[in-house]
Parts: sequence; structure tokens; C-alpha cells
Amino acid sequence: MIELFDVTKRFGDEIAVNDISLRVEKGELCALVGTSGCGKSTTLRMINRLIEHSEGEIHLDGQPVRTFNEQLLRRRIGYVIQSTGLFPHWTVARNIGLVPRLLKWPRTRIRERVAELMGLLGLPPAEFAAKYPHQLSGGQAQRVGVARALAADPEILLMDEPFGALDPITRESLQHELRDLQARLHKTIVFVTHDMDEALALADRLVVMHRGRIVQQGRPIELLREPVDNFVASLLGGVERGLKEAGLTRVSERMLPLGPRLLARERVAQTAPLRDALSMMLWHRVDRLTVVDDDDIPIGELSLRRLVGGRPE
Amino acid sequence: MPLLWLGLLLAATLGMEQLEGVLRLIEPDSREVIYRRDTFLALLVQHVMVVLVASLLAVAIGVGAAIAVTRPAGRDFRPLVGQLASIGQTFPPVAVLALAVPVLGFGTLPIIMALLLYGLLPIVRNTLAGIEGIDPAVHEAARGMGMTGVQVLRQVELPLAAPVILAGIRTSVTINIATAAIGATVGASNLGDPIISGIVNGNTAYVVQGAVLIGLLAISVDSLFERFMPRLAPR
Ligand SMILES: Nc1ncnc2c1ncn2[C@@H]1O[C@H](COP(=O)(O)OP(=O)(O)OP(=O)(O)O)[C@@H](O)[C@H]1O
Ligand SMILES: [Mg+2]
Repeated sequence: MIELFDVTKRFGDEIAVNDISLRVEKGELCALVGTSGCGKSTTLRMINRLIEHSEGEIHLDGQPVRTFNEQLLRRRIGYVIQSTGLFPHWTVARNIGLVPRLLKWPRTRIRERVAELMGLLGLPPAEFAAKYPHQLSGGQAQRVGVARALAADPEILLMDEPFGALDPITRESLQHELRDLQARLHKTIVFVTHDMDEALALADRLVVMHRGRIVQQGRPIELLREPVDNFVASLLGGVERGLKEAGLTRVSERMLPLGPRLLARERVAQTAPLRDALSMMLWHRVDRLTVVDDDDIPIGELSLRRLVGGRPE
Repeated sequence: MPLLWLGLLLAATLGMEQLEGVLRLIEPDSREVIYRRDTFLALLVQHVMVVLVASLLAVAIGVGAAIAVTRPAGRDFRPLVGQLASIGQTFPPVAVLALAVPVLGFGTLPIIMALLLYGLLPIVRNTLAGIEGIDPAVHEAARGMGMTGVQVLRQVELPLAAPVILAGIRTSVTINIATAAIGATVGASNLGDPIISGIVNGNTAYVVQGAVLIGLLAISVDSLFERFMPRLAPR
């Protein structure tokens, strides 16, 4: 659990982070969003003490971070930095094994762990283990950065735009990995991103920052439905908020049981977001879809009217 | 390549007698055309020793100082060290000798002193450039992963800065091989002796002998650096 109580950071006269309070429960993924320069990275760095906070308190599992030994604290916290920061003179495998080596794990255990992570992040060891960072694409380097942060299996992960330089497909698959990982391992994660869809898809708690302050925090759907001001509303997508909300709602929440009518030809999975269902209707020019379960068996139907939240006809 | 130059250097040092005929052409009127006050081998060894000692000291002090002022604790001294090193370079070595002799007496000590000061700048400057030129993200990652200051220095900063630091040492040593010759003016016997004595007695052949040997020594050492630097430097 990470807690920030009235934390402020000043660089000289400039206030980078202004009196923020935040609580991230164990197993929660908290996404920080906001315009460039609003203090997101500074907030992360204060948690692992790369930057010392000027005022307030930061606690990990109830203990002030200032009471920890700096190095031991950081070895317990996985950190993915905005611009990867891989060591150019070390191979991929050695980069990933950095923290386990600092923790003096036995050699064979480090090697196994590195291979395991490389597999997890889609970097086949045979191909990538011996490469140097300058031989990687931007996206591959970012994955190595994520693997390095995960290496010692830390309870807490701080991720500063970890998927920034990835193509949409790799990005989505890594988001999936992260969500699975999160579901299985219950890490406590603070995640910075500029991509609102990413934030909405991953976050349990969404925190919007503006000029060093937290302007709103809560569950993504709450922020979408009730933004406190125009800034939050426009950051969350402005006129597209309807679609974003549809992206967070599952088909199963709006479908009706199968009626007496003929089954509609087009099918949609009950676990799909409403946004996908809407897209299918637009694409196929229909106003009714058959909802199927995981085994492709029809279990209900969804009309356009229900989809947009209207009463059944 | 280094072997070739070293071979030439040795041959010239030991076989200067054989070149008497050629040297006679330069100085047909002088009684003596081969410098004989000392063997060339002894002069060469002296020369190398002086440069070696001065360079080792310069490396220790220069690299040490540059490391110290790039630590958080020493950051305040960063501008001062940069300036001191520049002054060391602008100060003519002859002036250093003139100032050092009254304190340290004649002989080898003042010339080591002068070479040390003179050789410091390229080493300090390159070490600073090498360490400060490291991508800040690499530095942040190193600390962010929980490396201690010493670990960051030894495993990240020094290896990454090594090529630049070595280039500085190479410049420093090569310059000092040439500069050491002026040590002869304060009684340090080295390859500068034939040159000085040649100038004083108007014997160009002596000057040529000293100059050729110093040149060969400088080239040999430089090609040694050339040969072994890429191995020390990763990537
Ligand atoms: N070491 C520092 N010294 C002085 N000012 C700093 C320092 N680090 C950050 N700042 C300032 O603090 C403010 C917040 O910076 P921060 O890096 O936290 O922004 P950010 O939200 O991560 O932005 P981005 O989305 O562009 O990464 C900026 O105005 C920046 O100029
Ligand atoms: Mg940032």
C-alpha cells in the first residue's frame, strides 16, 4: 500500500507537486494522467526517493519512506523509466538481471528468471539475450525496461509511460499482460500514461493531475460520468467520452434475454465492451446483435436502443 | 603496428653509431656527430621513466579529481577544478620549471612537476566530459534500481566514460613525451639532452638524433594506445 499525505515538492521557487494526497491499496493499479509537466514523473520519483519530497509524508505499508535505506527501498520497488535508461554497455540479459544481481541471487536463479521474463515479454532469449540496447527497436527496448523492473518480483511497480513507444498491437498485448499479471500477482502499481484509453482500460483508480495538483481521482467510470470540471472532461476525451464509457461497459450489462424473434445474424461476445458492439452495428448497418457466451452459444440479444441505455422496445 | 614502431625506436637507440655517415652529411664541419655524453639507451630509459611517473600521477590526480567533483558531495568544486586544469595547460612548462627549480632543486623532480601540471588538463577535461556525457536516463535507472554510489561509478559511469578518459590519457602522455625534452635545461638527463646540447654547440646532428628518438617514442606509445584502446572500451 502506498500513501501520500499532503505531499509537496519544490524545485527552488517552482512548485512541481502541490499538496497531493493519494492512497493506492495493495493490488490496485493507479493511473496518473495529466498534461505534460504537471508533476507525474516527480510524484513517482518521490515514492522511490529519487527525489526527496519537500513537505508531507509518503508511506509504504504504513512506514515512512524516509526511514528506509534508499538502496534497499529501491530494490523492492520496480521502476520503469520514461526513456528506458538501459545500460548501453550491458547485454539485454544482463540489463534485466540487474536488480536480482544487486540482491545477490544465485547465478542460476538469475538466469532462469531472466529467461522467464524475456519469454513473458515476447523477447525470445535465443534472439535477444546477447543483444545490446542499441541493437533494439524502441518498443523492444521498452519491453526490456519493463522486464528489468519486474525482475526481482517487487511488490510495488512504478511505471512512467512504459508503453509509450509501442505500436498499438504490441501495446495492447502488453496491457493484457499487465492486467493478467496484476490479477494473478496483486502488485501495487502506479502507472503514468498520456494515453487515455490505456488509463481507462488498466486503472482501478484514475488520478488526474493539473499543474502539480490532483484535480480529481476515483474509479475511471466515475470520472467519465462526473468530471469535476471542463479540464477533466476534455482530458478524458471531450465529446468522445460517450465512446470511452462504452469502452468500459460490457455487453452483458445491457443485453436482454433471447426473445421470440429470429436471431440476428451478427454475433457479439458477452464479455466485449459496448463500444465494440456499437462499432459492429455501424459496420454491418444493423440495429440488433445476438450475444453469445464463451462457447459461441447464443444467450441473449442487444438492440441499439438498449445499447445506448434506452428502455426495451 | 606498435611492434614496428617499437622496433624502429630500439634500432635507432642502439644503432645510432651506424648512422654516422648520414649524420656527417648534416654536420660536415663538426668534430663529433654522435652524441656520446650518455648512451642513448640510458637517455631513453630516463625519458620514459619521467613521463611514466608524471603520467601515472596525472591520471591518479586528474581522474580522481574529476570523479570527486561529479559526486553529489563534491559538486560545489566542479567549476574550480575545471578552471585549475585549464590554468595548468596555459601555464608554459618552461615557466613551471623556472618556478619549480628554486623549490625542488635541479634534476628530475621539477620536470615531473611540470609534466604533471601540463598533462592534467586533458585527463580532467575528458574524465568530466565522459562522466557528464552519460545519458541522464541511464543514471536515473542505475540509481532507481537501487545501485549504491560506488556501484554506479564502477559498473556504469567508469565503463561508459572509459573510451573518452583513455583518449584524454593518450593525449596527455603523447604531449608529455615531447614536453619532457625541456627537462634537459634543468639537468634532468633524457632525450632532450642531445637537443639542448646541439642547440648550445650549434651541432644540428645532435638535435636530429634527439628529435628522431623522441618522435619515434611518441609514435610508438601512441600506436600502443591505438592498438589496445578498443579492447578496453566496450562496443
Ligand atoms: N530536477 C528538476 N529540477 C527542476 N525542476 C524540475 C526537475 N524535475 C522536474 N522539474 C519540473 O517539475 C515539473 C513537473 O515535472 P515532471 O517531470 O514531474 O512532469 P510530468 O508530468 O512527468 O511531464 P511529462 O508528461 O512531460 O513527462 C516541470 O515543470 C519540470 O520542469
Ligand atoms: Mg514525465
